[in-house]
Amino acid sequence: MAQPPDLLEVRDVAKSYGAVRALVSADLTVSPGEIHALLGANGAGKSTLVKILSGALRPDSGTIAVAGREVRFSSPVDARRAGIAPVFQDPALVPHLSVADNFTLTGTDRAAVRPWLDRLELDVDLAERVNALPLALLRMLDLARALAHDPQLLLLDEMTAALPSDYADRVFAVMREWRDRGRSVLFISHRLTEVREICDRATVLRDGRAVDTHRTAEGSEARIVGAMLGERAARVDLPMAERGPAAVPGARPRLEVEELVAGRRLKGVSLSVAPGEVLGVVSLEGQGEDDLFLALAGDLRPKSGRVLVEGTPVRGRHPIQAIRRGITLVPSDRQHAVLPQRSIRENLALPLYSSMRSWGWISDRAERRAVDKAVEELEIDMRAAGQAKQLSGGNQQKLTIGRWLVGGYDVMLCFDPTRGIDVGTKHQIYRLLRQQAAEGRSVLMFTSELREVRIVCDRVVVLHDGRIVAEMPAAEADEERLLHAMHDLGPHDLGPHELGPHDLEPREAS
Amino acid sequence: MTVTAPPVPQMPPPTQPRGRLQRFLRDEAWTGALVLLFAGLLFWQSTQVRAWGSFELQTLATSTLPLVFIALAQGVVVIAGGIDLSVGAQMVLFNCVAASLMEGAGFGSSLALAALTLVLGAVVGVLTGWIITVSGVPDIIVTLATSFIWLGLALWIMPQPGGGANPSFQEMFVGSGTAYWPALLCIAVPLLVVWVPLRRSRIGLSIYALGSDPQAAFLAGVSAPRARMTAYALAGMFTALAGLATTAYTGGGQASIAVANTATLGSVAAVVLGGIALTGGVGGLIGPVLAVWCLFLIPANLLSFGVDPSYGEVVRGVVIVLVVLSGSLLRRKWSKA
Repeated sequence: MAQPPDLLEVRDVAKSYGAVRALVSADLTVSPGEIHALLGANGAGKSTLVKILSGALRPDSGTIAVAGREVRFSSPVDARRAGIAPVFQDPALVPHLSVADNFTLTGTDRAAVRPWLDRLELDVDLAERVNALPLALLRMLDLARALAHDPQLLLLDEMTAALPSDYADRVFAVMREWRDRGRSVLFISHRLTEVREICDRATVLRDGRAVDTHRTAEGSEARIVGAMLGERAARVDLPMAERGPAAVPGARPRLEVEELVAGRRLKGVSLSVAPGEVLGVVSLEGQGEDDLFLALAGDLRPKSGRVLVEGTPVRGRHPIQAIRRGITLVPSDRQHAVLPQRSIRENLALPLYSSMRSWGWISDRAERRAVDKAVEELEIDMRAAGQAKQLSGGNQQKLTIGRWLVGGYDVMLCFDPTRGIDVGTKHQIYRLLRQQAAEGRSVLMFTSELREVRIVCDRVVVLHDGRIVAEMPAAEADEERLLHAMHDLGPHDLGPHELGPHDLEPREAS
Repeated sequence: MTVTAPPVPQMPPPTQPRGRLQRFLRDEAWTGALVLLFAGLLFWQSTQVRAWGSFELQTLATSTLPLVFIALAQGVVVIAGGIDLSVGAQMVLFNCVAASLMEGAGFGSSLALAALTLVLGAVVGVLTGWIITVSGVPDIIVTLATSFIWLGLALWIMPQPGGGANPSFQEMFVGSGTAYWPALLCIAVPLLVVWVPLRRSRIGLSIYALGSDPQAAFLAGVSAPRARMTAYALAGMFTALAGLATTAYTGGGQASIAVANTATLGSVAAVVLGGIALTGGVGGLIGPVLAVWCLFLIPANLLSFGVDPSYGEVVRGVVIVLVVLSGSLLRRKWSKA
């Protein structure tokens, strides 16, 4: 019996941006009727391959065949015609047009979208303008639009990142349905649980090459992580014991927050962070966590309450006032912090420029020394030193943290510093934050990955509805307890079956 | 070792059901404010001028006609995310072309020549869009350069003021006696026949998409060169209309650099006051028309009030700043609320 041709066959595809080789040799096959995962650390070439497959980028060399026929895409329209429909993390919807106009723009038949809107349970007024709708909903609309084009291959690029779980469940249901119709899905995700549960096969990219393809049933998460990390796999979680000295109990707090009320959601928060302490903050989305961080950083004027550093109040009118008092922010969105056109060096040395103590030349040698030290400590990829926008997401995040290592600080506010970052870089950031604490600095860190609390933090507070509802030492903060607190539930309200798989507790890598 | 936490259960994002009326008010708030401003200015004028009537309206409609077309041209380009510093020069060029060709021509051949001028306008627009696309040079530079070319051509065609126009053709734009409706019709017809249908079509939406978010537009399959050239072609046709209106209004042609530059700057002011965001993708073509009329009425009203016309210019500038400032403050407040 003749084997049917693969739906998608990518052979030896390469792509370079100037000196940076994003893809060296990528191979990938997707069979009809399968959900195929594409995995890889940040900078492994995933996004580049996805852009090539969706027609947004042309490869330097290599071949792509769809259903046995070689194709060359010169625009996203070509890819859609060939039966590949992508859905990106940032939806390809034009912000100032209505949803309906966006459907018209792509020639999407309204009658063909309707059933998918119903299937995804999206109750939305199509005459509403796109930029008035929440991001999560837009991704779902983009998915509905892609499905309406009835593609052979659905390309989902980090679509479930930060998607509410009820939406994510609907996406998974539709993916399975799509497979049952004999169509295929290429699924890109950082969440290995999702991959294990829903995907048939997985291909792992590392440093621009496809290094492993296997059936996910056979492969454990450990195999995927091993392939993603390569020689870096030796580095594992920091055991609690090796994290350096924890905060001295009873020491005078460096940062004190008293009944802070700010923005629309923060209704009164008091907390304190000691020198040498990493204080974790966890919450469901939209509980005032972003208002808390912005208010502390001086970017959002508090309505009431006080912020004190070393016992004296900080005026919260402008970030410069916070920075002068040693409070620095590493924001959730790297794009807000990185100067994309400027060099790595300038990005790192930025805080030095803001101090106008001397009106003369900026001391070149002092700057270079500080920057070199930061580059070394953070292991920043210097291949694309010229422009920060050429760096991978993980390396850009290192820049936003490294900037304050160069500039100096007392309290660092890190908002979800490892979101969308690969495992290797995550571990570097964990180590760095512990090291900073060991040197006597204070860190306030929000995290959406509950596991990180036990790895990085000394103590954790839980926000709910704009207030702190729980506080506990990190050692006691397992995910179950945190989830209970985040939902502001009593200890028995939430059954363990709703907490997700229990084999996710940290264990040693193979 | 594992890499992920279990997906955190989250609340569904809040959806805000909005009524049609509420959304209409939000989206058209700027135009609504302009209508009120315009109505206020008209009312003010009517209280100042004895026996106020169709004569004043005709003056308003006909003398602003070229600037209205220029503002529409600029509006289309700015919606597409560009800016065109050559609209005034194009207007002067087409004024000279039309006036030199139409001198002594009958009504029928004048109409044919007008059609030819419109085609020329589209060609000039496509050419501008093509240069911007191919060269990759920012449009502000390209159109600054082309404006010198168009002005040079205009001077070459018509070194001294001259030319002429068929009286019936003139009446088509400026009317006879105190009729103001021909001028209004001249604005309404191209808007209704060309712009409104285009606005709902894929190519019109692609103009908005290009200005709103080029990356999203690209991923949605919009061809940026095609959308850009369409926008500039439309703009070229509007500048051709502006040139024809000038010919009809003045009964001749003049290659005036000062007129070109004033018109270009006036078009930018009208576009901004008309609620089109200079960042692209936002606004419509009703706003600029109202804005031109408001900007015309302010110094005229002050003049009838006995104020030195030079102060009129100052007031005009202050109004632009105030309107744009309050607009952006309101937008910021709404986006926070």
